[in-house]
Amino acid sequence: MKSDTIRITKGLDIPIPGAAQRELELLFPSHDGVQYEYAVKPTDYVGVAPRLLVSEGDSVIAGSPLFEDKNNPGIPFVSPVSGTVKAIVRGEKRKLLSVIVEADEGLQRNRQFKITDADLTDAEKIREMLVESGLWNMLRQRPFGIVPRPGSQPKAIFISAFDSSPLPVDYDYILQAHRSLAQSRENFQQGITVLSQIAPVHLSLDGKSQRDSFLANTANATVHFFEGPHPAGLVGTQIAYIDPINKGETVWTIGVQDVAIIGHLFHTGTYKPDRVVAFCGPNVLKPIYYSLFAGSDIPTTILKDGSGKQRIICGDVLSGVSMRRTKDNIASDSFLSASCDKVCFIPEGDYYDFMGWLRPNLRKFSISRTFLSGILSKIKIQCSKIDFDTSKHGSQRPLFVTGEFEKLVPLDIYPMQLIKACIVGDIELMENLGIYEVEPEDLALCEFADTSKTEIQAIIREGLEKVRKELGL
Amino acid sequence: MKLRDFFDRLKPSFSKGGRFEKLSSTFEAFESFAFTPNTVTGGNMRDRYRGCHIRDAVDLKRTIITVVIALLPALLFGMWNIGYQTSMAYGLDWGFWHRFWFGFLRMLPIIVVSYVVGLSIEFLFAEIRHEEVSEGFIGTGLIISMIVPVTVPLWQLAIAVAFAVIIGKEVFGGSGYNFLNPALVARAFLFFSYPSHMSGDHVWIASPFHFAGDAIAGATPLGQLMASRPLTASAFDMFLGTIPGSTCETSVLAILLGAALLLITGIASWRIMLSIVIGGGLMGLLFNAIGANEYMQLPFYCHYLMGGFAFGCVFMATDPVTAAQTNAGKWIYGFLIGAFAVALRVLNPAYPEGMMLAILLMNCFAPLIDHCVVAINIRRRKKRWLAAERRTNR
Repeated sequence: MKSDTIRITKGLDIPIPGAAQRELELLFPSHDGVQYEYAVKPTDYVGVAPRLLVSEGDSVIAGSPLFEDKNNPGIPFVSPVSGTVKAIVRGEKRKLLSVIVEADEGLQRNRQFKITDADLTDAEKIREMLVESGLWNMLRQRPFGIVPRPGSQPKAIFISAFDSSPLPVDYDYILQAHRSLAQSRENFQQGITVLSQIAPVHLSLDGKSQRDSFLANTANATVHFFEGPHPAGLVGTQIAYIDPINKGETVWTIGVQDVAIIGHLFHTGTYKPDRVVAFCGPNVLKPIYYSLFAGSDIPTTILKDGSGKQRIICGDVLSGVSMRRTKDNIASDSFLSASCDKVCFIPEGDYYDFMGWLRPNLRKFSISRTFLSGILSKIKIQCSKIDFDTSKHGSQRPLFVTGEFEKLVPLDIYPMQLIKACIVGDIELMENLGIYEVEPEDLALCEFADTSKTEIQAIIREGLEKVRKELGL
Repeated sequence: MKLRDFFDRLKPSFSKGGRFEKLSSTFEAFESFAFTPNTVTGGNMRDRYRGCHIRDAVDLKRTIITVVIALLPALLFGMWNIGYQTSMAYGLDWGFWHRFWFGFLRMLPIIVVSYVVGLSIEFLFAEIRHEEVSEGFIGTGLIISMIVPVTVPLWQLAIAVAFAVIIGKEVFGGSGYNFLNPALVARAFLFFSYPSHMSGDHVWIASPFHFAGDAIAGATPLGQLMASRPLTASAFDMFLGTIPGSTCETSVLAILLGAALLLITGIASWRIMLSIVIGGGLMGLLFNAIGANEYMQLPFYCHYLMGGFAFGCVFMATDPVTAAQTNAGKWIYGFLIGAFAVALRVLNPAYPEGMMLAILLMNCFAPLIDHCVVAINIRRRKKRWLAAERRTNR
């Protein structure tokens, strides 16, 4: 089923150089693509209180439970590889940060499931299988961005199959990169078919580049085309235009690669969490795709010589997660997060800028037009050398400038008022202003553009958590 | 870099536990004035940081400094005009630079007093609150000095600035939390506390002598209209600004140059500026249609050229903190400012200048306007919820 194109006018494309080319390599070719250590991190998930199911030294196979959520028991978080539990890393107050598994050398052993053809049309059986295999944890429920409770029924399932954020990945390519991977067209279709047994599936594609893609012919899903600047590719934007979330309703979202992994499980009965991840950024030697397993350790050898301190970000630069850093801003832990499609390397910006508030500056990116580069880009002259880094470019102030958020948010909400409602923690006001329709990533561009350097996404998350606690979810 | 080393050497004594710990905000203000700080997104968080890792290069310092640059044409013209008015009134044969220099020397103490008083209070409050010094007053301080008569006694100015910063801003939490434009609070304070020094025909022209007993009358167009005297300035003079008036408000041309910069850089809201012009124009036309007295018969476009209309429209009504925040709200807010400013001028004989009061009045109503605009959004959302509920129940 196809529907009309939905055009979005509000938003912003940030031209960071170094997007991944269509090329695939094994990240660790010498070991059949299997590297030594892998990590599974409860901190990748919202509101998970982990209960450990293994201890150091236990032997596990790919798909073995490592821990579960006390608040949502029965759904295991599983090991991506077979091997031995090497370390259980805890932070302050003994908070569980990650479980590290040392991979077996040689052949991987994967957990097998028995699946009959009849199972593929039985929604109950599908739910059971997703929960048992731990793949249920790949689902996200909106509002609140949590893993859905096993018995819950969503209004619909939304999948965005294009990336409009800076340094975009190409899902058409990912699903066709290599025949031996779980990431294939067939598995993706199988995954969609399976999910469509639970609730109607909406698949959103890029109206510019994906009209002739095989994805446009996906069966058992309603296909929508979106055109326009980022955040057109964010699933939150797409939900708002297709079927907005009302109070009391829930929808599920899931990533393209996660759908393919589910499809692979139902196709073959094997748990195989391989992913195709783009390594991109201005300082990456060869920005291409790599085939690896979830939880891999990211090597920094792929960077150009002398590229200095780099921040490693799982996900996109506007809303992703950075690796833990040392005091000098050097990444210390570099395990890939779950459900991550790209790793962005961005130079750290911990430098002083002499009279930064005054100079016209051609090398800084701004949409405010107070910079020469900003004015030039408005009249379609792109400065060739714009430096992107993690500098905050100023200090935090109370929210001051108005009107800059409205140009960037294509949702039917008032961003400034919603942010302020979250700051004061007024639950009724948050509800009324549309807190159920957003995840922090939907307001990431506001955080980017904010003159006052406010941590908007953290504020939105806090607001969402406050509402969630109030509702007792 | 030498300067960087200097700051790095001093930094420990101003940080927590240092000898000058109590002056940390002051140190931070000077340091961040010289160098954009080296803070990165996620700050000092060593743990994993989820959020926006890159940021737009703009910050509040740059925003404010753009406003200051936009004020410069009006400021420079104002300095020249002070000299020009004096030389004309006293029949002195001064050249261009002489006039400018005279005006510069008359403006300098006003600017210095405004900044010194205002910034001292800002720094003091920042230290007490352990916050960074906000740059808001860099713009406000200059604006205050530009909208007072050149003859303003400096002690009155100092009290007005202190009042504006403390009562107009700091009691509400500082820059960003105030609901009244602080520059206008200062102007209103002067206007209502010392009316004899702020209005009438004797305050607009600086005396070339150091004692002020022999002030010469220089009527502003608004003053002439109020007294039902014929206008002496042509519309073109008013556009250029070669007329008596508050130090830097007279030249519409210079103000338009500043407006152009504010609009190109996107710092000020074009919606507010345009709607003020529309509101003022329509009100002027309405009075033209009634035409009951001479003031009402004044061509509507003359309102743009007289008094503080242009200056207020470009630099004061557009203050984002005190204006309406929603786009629809900005249209309503601006339109009403324009309409009220003209109405106050024409209908209220006590106040020759309506712009200041119109903006202050709408500052008070801006939150209400926003509330109504947002309420429409909320009602739409609730309707959708109800419809969805009905669907599921059926």
